[in-house]
Amino acid sequence: MSDRMLTMAEAVREAMSIAFDERPEVFLLGEDVGIYGGAFGVSGDMYHRYGAERVLDTPIAELGIVGAAVGAALSGMRPIVEIQFSDFTAQAMDQIANQAAKIHFMLGGALHVPMVLRTPQGSGTGAAAQHSQNLEPWFASVPGLKVVVPSNPADAKGLLLAAIDDPNPVIFLEHKLLYKIPGRDPVPEGATRIPLGVSKVVREGKDLTIVATGIMVNKSYEVAEKLAAEGISITLIDPRTISPLDMQPVFESVEKTGRLLVVQEGPAHAGFINEVIAQMAGSSSFGSLIAPIKRLAGMNIPIPYAPQLEKAAVPQIEDIEAAAREIVKNWR
Amino acid sequence: MSFKYPVVMPKMSMTMETGELINFHVKVGDQVKSGDVLFEVMTDKIDMEVEAPADGVIESLVAEPGAVVEIGKPVLIMLTETEVMAFDFGDDDQPVAAVEVAPPAPIVETPVVAAAPIIVNTNVKAVPKARVEAANRGIDLRTVHPTGPDRTITMQDVNGAQLDPAIVKRQEANKALIAKGIEMTRAIAQASFNRRVTANFDHASFIAAWAKVLRGRPDLAAHEHIGVALIIESKYGSALPVFRDPDQASLNDLRTLVASTTDAAKNGKVPVAMLSGATTTVFDLTTYSMSSATPLLFPNQVTSVTIGYDSESSKNISLTIDLNFCDFYDGALLLDALVASL
Repeated sequence: MSDRMLTMAEAVREAMSIAFDERPEVFLLGEDVGIYGGAFGVSGDMYHRYGAERVLDTPIAELGIVGAAVGAALSGMRPIVEIQFSDFTAQAMDQIANQAAKIHFMLGGALHVPMVLRTPQGSGTGAAAQHSQNLEPWFASVPGLKVVVPSNPADAKGLLLAAIDDPNPVIFLEHKLLYKIPGRDPVPEGATRIPLGVSKVVREGKDLTIVATGIMVNKSYEVAEKLAAEGISITLIDPRTISPLDMQPVFESVEKTGRLLVVQEGPAHAGFINEVIAQMAGSSSFGSLIAPIKRLAGMNIPIPYAPQLEKAAVPQIEDIEAAAREIVKNWR
Repeated sequence: MSFKYPVVMPKMSMTMETGELINFHVKVGDQVKSGDVLFEVMTDKIDMEVEAPADGVIESLVAEPGAVVEIGKPVLIMLTETEVMAFDFGDDDQPVAAVEVAPPAPIVETPVVAAAPIIVNTNVKAVPKARVEAANRGIDLRTVHPTGPDRTITMQDVNGAQLDPAIVKRQEANKALIAKGIEMTRAIAQASFNRRVTANFDHASFIAAWAKVLRGRPDLAAHEHIGVALIIESKYGSALPVFRDPDQASLNDLRTLVASTTDAAKNGKVPVAMLSGATTTVFDLTTYSMSSATPLLFPNQVTSVTIGYDSESSKNISLTIDLNFCDFYDGALLLDALVASL
């Protein structure tokens, strides 16, 4: 086992490099991914290592970028698209939702679209409403897309390798605030895949189950560690892949804890995490609940520019801590 | 606002008319909590502790220890602020005699719910697991004090809830009496309840559902098992094969058994092993396009159900109970639970 502590940007670059070395049909395209090394430095030196034919700087034209990738994927390539901010996928949505997601099905399975679309998401950088969104439910609600939301470097590497292998279009949502920080766990050397559609039980406890996505996994983990010292023991589950969604560990955990708190960054209204609640409420584990299910999510507003308001618009560690305490204290 | 609440001599059996007050466990001015023992009562059948139905203060002791008190007459008066008592006896000048007109339900009559999750009319808030737990333990959630937010019953509340000792005693007494058989008062002490249902069911699923409901009332049978007799008419007369614990078999197995037994019974052949052990009876009248028939209770059984014709798409379910062992409220709950689980 390696003890390498990488940042998520490094881990993603490593996964792309491994895929580049394994398969000649893998290539990367996007705005400033080449000479500049990516807006968040994720592709880094790949342009210099693999050349301009495999690391393509594109014009500022998201619909064209994804369209080119879909066409390449249909003709046997395995493109990795980087869209500079997930907000800009709005420009490319026809290619993503109407083309990439549906071609395999509308052609009777004759062709498939093995494309990965990587894009940074989330708030916390002071970049205001058009550069800070969490758009998980946009993609999770389109059948034909797989959607991955890694919360740490080790998962990001293994999941991205599996996403590149996958014959379906995969949307890979990376949180900007996680790019520059090392994870809790070392990133293994080599080309180990983490299968898509398998939730991860990050830690186990007996009093409360928290299901969180992306950066909220990290925030929830801190809360779980803190409350453990006070005798509140928390199971934390990271779905990692939100489409398809693996609920089994959630059911099994709630049968033990009886309490469920779900946390997401995106707006509460019609958010992805509501799917977790719906499946829980309709499951045979419903009768295990000893407390109402609690949801923490972003406010139903565009992310504000002012830093204090931006912070207040999405769940913070203190919010998760307060909610966890309240559920365990009030429902016994 | 506080209410005067007379705690009366409870009626513990159909034949009981008086009870002897043995002693008080409280004195005037005592603060009592719901469930505290107030006094002890002796009858020819049973000794029992009577508990406070709510939190409150003892205002006065009405009866003397050693006295024989008629049922429904006050033994003591307490003051309570608990509104759930639902009895406001008005100002202090109001005669306590009002009790006789509308006797509050003595605590011993608090019925045990058959299976909480299928009691659809139970309008209490409880966390899901509390309902499951209450059903498994035969606890009526209405008798559980909620301590959770918004007056919701929590797991802690259910875990702390005990089957009232009086109910346990009553259930034991029921079992013994049913075993002995009571025929004397039966004719005037039974009641029938009807409900129209549109659910689809066959004999097997009906028998299983009814057994499952009765599982929550072990006191309504002399036996530990539940034996559902199904009346099958044949040219040789009525046959009553008994299906034992049908709720515990798989529905497919039960369907096979019911079908083969019905065929055999129509030819006058019922396996000897299936001829005894009935604790309840089911009679399907729809074959005759009848909606109901005179309620029948077999010896040593205190419930029976008929399935009657109602319309092309609905049936009329009728439950008959023996009021020696359960009251109207129980009957309504049992039929409610049965219909909900079809």
